Amino acid sequence: MKPLERIVVCGSGVAAHLTAVALARQLPPTIRIVWVNGADSRDADLFFGGVTAPSAYAFNLAAGISEPRLMVDTDSTFSWGTHFRDWGAENVSWVQCSHLALPVINGVLFHHYLWRLGIDQLEPFLTPAVAARRGVFAHPVDKGPKLLTRAEYGYQINPYSYVAPFAAAARALRVETVTAEISNVECGEGTISALHLSDGRVIAADLFVDCTGPDARLLSRLGVEAPVGRRLRAALSQVHTEKIGPPCRSVIARDFGWQSETSLKTSVARLTVYAPETESEAIAAHGDAQHTGEITLGRRASAWMGNCVAIGHAASVLEPLSHAPMLLLEREIDRLLTLVPFSRDMSVERREYNRQGAEDYTHAEIFNRALFETPLKAQTDFWLAARAEPPHEKLVQKLTQFESRGLLAAFDLEPFTPEEWVILHHGMRRRPLRYDRMADRTPEGEVRPMFDTMRREIENLVKTMPTHNDYMIGLVRYLRQNQK
Amino acid sequence: MQIERICIVGGGTAGWMTAAALSHKLKGLPVAIQLVESDEIGTVGVGEATLPHIRNFNNALNISEPALMKATEATIKLGIEFCDWGRIGDRYIHPFGDFGPNVNGVPFYQFWLRLRELGDSSRLDEYALGIVLAEMGRFTMPGTDPARVESTFRYAYQFDATRYARFLRQYSEANGVVRTEGKVVDVKLDSESGFVESVKLDRGDILTADLFVDCSGFRGLLIEQQLKTGYEDWSQWLPCNRAVAVPCESRGPLLPLTRATARKSGWQWRIPLQHRVGNGLVYCSDFISEDEATEFILGNLEGPALAAPNKLRFTTGRRRLFWNKNVVAIGLSAGFLEPLESTSIHLIHEGVTELVQLFPDKRFAQSDADEYNRRMGVNFERVRDFLLLHYVATQRDDSPMWQHFRNLKLTDSLQEKIDAWTTRGHIIKYEFGVFLPPSWIAVLIGQNLLPRGYDRRVDAAPKDVLIRNAAAIKQGVRAAALKAPDHAAYLRQIGAASDTAPMVARA
Repeated sequence: MKPLERIVVCGSGVAAHLTAVALARQLPPTIRIVWVNGADSRDADLFFGGVTAPSAYAFNLAAGISEPRLMVDTDSTFSWGTHFRDWGAENVSWVQCSHLALPVINGVLFHHYLWRLGIDQLEPFLTPAVAARRGVFAHPVDKGPKLLTRAEYGYQINPYSYVAPFAAAARALRVETVTAEISNVECGEGTISALHLSDGRVIAADLFVDCTGPDARLLSRLGVEAPVGRRLRAALSQVHTEKIGPPCRSVIARDFGWQSETSLKTSVARLTVYAPETESEAIAAHGDAQHTGEITLGRRASAWMGNCVAIGHAASVLEPLSHAPMLLLEREIDRLLTLVPFSRDMSVERREYNRQGAEDYTHAEIFNRALFETPLKAQTDFWLAARAEPPHEKLVQKLTQFESRGLLAAFDLEPFTPEEWVILHHGMRRRPLRYDRMADRTPEGEVRPMFDTMRREIENLVKTMPTHNDYMIGLVRYLRQNQK
Repeated sequence: MQIERICIVGGGTAGWMTAAALSHKLKGLPVAIQLVESDEIGTVGVGEATLPHIRNFNNALNISEPALMKATEATIKLGIEFCDWGRIGDRYIHPFGDFGPNVNGVPFYQFWLRLRELGDSSRLDEYALGIVLAEMGRFTMPGTDPARVESTFRYAYQFDATRYARFLRQYSEANGVVRTEGKVVDVKLDSESGFVESVKLDRGDILTADLFVDCSGFRGLLIEQQLKTGYEDWSQWLPCNRAVAVPCESRGPLLPLTRATARKSGWQWRIPLQHRVGNGLVYCSDFISEDEATEFILGNLEGPALAAPNKLRFTTGRRRLFWNKNVVAIGLSAGFLEPLESTSIHLIHEGVTELVQLFPDKRFAQSDADEYNRRMGVNFERVRDFLLLHYVATQRDDSPMWQHFRNLKLTDSLQEKIDAWTTRGHIIKYEFGVFLPPSWIAVLIGQNLLPRGYDRRVDAAPKDVLIRNAAAIKQGVRAAALKAPDHAAYLRQIGAASDTAPMVARA
């Protein structure tokens, strides 16, 4: 059977940049990577949001983009997570951060002792959360203070400029870039046979990767229907700043939806997400926008059909409330790399890709959806629509188990960690009816001093950390000097 | 509303493992644990070989390893040697550990698949320290530095399960568990809720409790006979339904592995302990009679038999609910899967661990039982698929039993796994379940199911670099194995060697 020799990536946004570079970097040179990079599919990139997951470091490195390069060549900064404010009817506030496993004391998970001891807040025991609120940052290096090594960080990004080092890498690598629009997609027998481009060229391939955004210009031609979830609009703008803000995105709930602020190197990016019905209130609150867009949330039934794989918004769209959109994008590209077929017979790869994709989407979607499982902020279109559909049964199981006994129901290979779920539940003030009875075996006189010490040590540690602004300036200066 | 009294019905491995774990985990809390068992009812004592997870169980109970090994005549188990499974004359070891290191996120076996295409004849086994140690009959404690080859394997035990239960009985009784001798002759259910209120013993005692753990074996005294929970029969996939077990005298060096040899109508186990060798034949009664099976096993022992053959009957499957009302079934009352991969004790361990995690109060929230049943269901089903893999990833068709498997329609989950493997060496992963990718790879490759392709990223590495790296890994594995002492010497070194002489058959 004729081996797979040529992959064509289509699109011009974040998904296309990351995909083209990761494929070119990690696949053997016997597979040609052609990138049809029109200027037509970036409109929806604002829906990737302003933060990555901690996994971005390893993902980028595998694609040949080191963190120093990202920090020097883009306006990205560090992120301990997202600070949710005024969330839900109770206006709760918490830092949704990432953290390695919390201590297990006498075989019982950490969070059960909070309830046992009557401690209401988890945050004072999370170094990244305390550091985020204080606006300070330092790298969690292996040989650093123990409490800091448990912290995890991602990046605050502007999706439109995050791609700069990827674009440069594509030029330096063996990617054959074609700058033209797709004028027609030629199909036959459930597969794509060729792309007709605006410059008259016709491009054939064994595998087409559709990164053209929510329109999925390739995949939709194979009859895969668009999702039918709720519709969202968003506006994005950047305001120049002299100093870098906190190492943490903020998200504030509004009656019309929510607004986030991302502290980049020379600006603050404001993203307003709202229901189309409340356009005037949202835009009035937002002000002038550099990018706007409208999108439908949800997942296409199959991301891989025939010889076409959709990646990014062409496959699914998640609300950029958490780092789910960027995290899922990375996981899609990794999944494709694992399953690049050998020949045009790709039925096994397709089935496995779609199976994993469906699970990943569900597991990320329920994390986002869990943010709405609270008394509503307002009886407005945005909040009512967010709760209109019943939650997925897996989320029901997770909520039931946590609210009943603080148990973390988990499913295979979820993108969000158990710690992220604990932080979410706690932040949203979900409290279980009972805690693990085994926690009663450790005398209070023994466990309370441990908690007091941990809280004090985190406070002291965070006091020694530089502001995000100072850390970034020092780091970038150092990296630039080293480059020379 | 807290549970105050727990009654475990049945001793044996399941009963005493449950008693030991609960008594340890609940120590210091006002909970009374009683266990009722009868010396007149024999225990099955299947599953004398274990999985590495048993060490976590014992460690959590602060049990000294040498003391336990000595008391149970235990040996080290580095894996299972499977003979005649792919084809007659084949052999391979399913180790506890990995095959070589990941390279840039790609598992090593993918590189080995390319090496084969390049003409390299090395076995994948040569990159697995657990296998090389087992083949040499050596053992040393695994290292803890993940960057070093010494950390790439794990180990379990082969032990006398009856002695293990006895060891845990002493442990449990020292922790306050009260053992009551007697047979359950009557059970009282609450007329409204249907919950078990008490059990009445043949001597007249009535034992009441809030929570009952049914460790009564196949019959499921509470979970089935009283609560009529129902059983999901999996014989359509795993038709073996009988076993005959017989210990024999030891011959030859003390091997750190269990052996499972495929036969025409089932398979035979060999489990070397310090004082004897456990043997048995698992078979399907459609293809061989009980007498023929007994005659076969007695004719295929390495030394004289030490006892009369013990004959067992079972139906492979699982209880529809493992936790029903205030009864949790653990052990054979929960379900049965043939001991081809030593999962019997492991499933007890899982059952107890989940019960501790989901320990109820007197309200018995349905959500606790639901989650327990979901978790244990996943465990059982995934073991089932892995066991079935051994029967279907084969070229054998030399008997009606093997022909039966040739024509079997597999579960969808297993068929998809096999397809993904044969196409491109891709393992469909899961997170929850005992057998992770290296186990699947060991069986698939060991039984000659080699994939047609491999991960395409592998070709990005230059050929000479790949060959050089693989040679270095292989050399590192061999060097590490050569540093390890002989298995029997190791047992003496740590003080785990038995004080008693090996058993000898009466003339």
